[in-house]
Amino acid sequence: MEKSFRYVAVAALIGLGIWGWRVLFPSPERVIRSRLNALAKAVSFGPNEGVLAKAYNTQKLTGFFTPDVEIDVDLRGYPPQTLSGRDEVLNAALYAHSNLNGLKVQFSGINVALGADRITAKVNLTGRAILPGSEHEFNVLEFNFLLRKVDGQWLIYQVQTVKTLSLSRPALELA
Amino acid sequence: MFDAQRTNSRTAVLPAWLRTLVIGRKPKRTLLRIGVLVAATLLVRQFVLLPVRVYGPSMLPTYQQDGLNFINRLPYYFHEPRRGDVVAIRTSDTTIMYMKRIVGLPGETVAFHDGRLFINGQMLSEPYVKYPCNWDYDPVTLGSNQFFVVGDNRSMPQIYHEFGRTDRNRIVGRIFLWKNLFATSPSPR
Repeated sequence: MEKSFRYVAVAALIGLGIWGWRVLFPSPERVIRSRLNALAKAVSFGPNEGVLAKAYNTQKLTGFFTPDVEIDVDLRGYPPQTLSGRDEVLNAALYAHSNLNGLKVQFSGINVALGADRITAKVNLTGRAILPGSEHEFNVLEFNFLLRKVDGQWLIYQVQTVKTLSLSRPALELA
Repeated sequence: MFDAQRTNSRTAVLPAWLRTLVIGRKPKRTLLRIGVLVAATLLVRQFVLLPVRVYGPSMLPTYQQDGLNFINRLPYYFHEPRRGDVVAIRTSDTTIMYMKRIVGLPGETVAFHDGRLFINGQMLSEPYVKYPCNWDYDPVTLGSNQFFVVGDNRSMPQIYHEFGRTDRNRIVGRIFLWKNLFATSPSPR
């Protein structure tokens, strides 16, 4: 009995050690995933948001992107949109905050592929946008994100919509 | 003596019959059974039947716009997807998938003219399409590893209906049940 207890204790200590190592020294993939989840949280906002909160939350978004970021959004039923640069991203965010009574964005299926240089990465994920009061009607888009490590921080410099079901052109592939 | 008896009676927390009911006569065997059950569930879910919640009207009237169904992964281990199969198409993973019907096979040319589907220039009979359709879509030739998928609800405006080409590796499996379980919206049939 004492022997079994010792084995369990050793296994628990090893498990704790591995967990602690992963928390203190996370892999780049893990860091990127948590960064993108933080982005989804930053893009989301609740109803009846105050003016100051609106300004603060939209400003917070720019910290996720490089100054020369390019975002291509192609939602079926709407003309394709391209946002170039942080300022346009900020304006789009302000527009959304002013015209929507809340938005919840979730990212799932985050697949991270680190570049050979380990300072660039490509991420394929699925984004879901839910408006309050319509949890069962949501827009789903698949994206490819390109990220670059700048001053120790992973920043997004390109976003492209992936057409899961393509029509006249093949699904977008990043070079 | 009196204190020892009181102590002994306090340590028997569960009656024997309840203990047998909860953990079995042989706890080790019970634990092994639980382990096997959990492993089997995970394996079935990963390789055989994947439960899914259905949202959206694009497969009306064949499937209601909500409810529960399953994706059967087994058939496509033995043969390729076939025309008419209602399949699940993954996005970046299987958390969110599209549920569509395969109408075009690799190498074929698919087009819509005045709401009718044409495969290699021949009109395809589609008995599952019950609502009127006025779609027009220029011919597109599928690659060697591509399928053409579309929902059964063709009364939706074409610009809002997600349909088109998908790669073989995105097809997760075939929808298992012919009708969604626990659907709250009325059956259209």
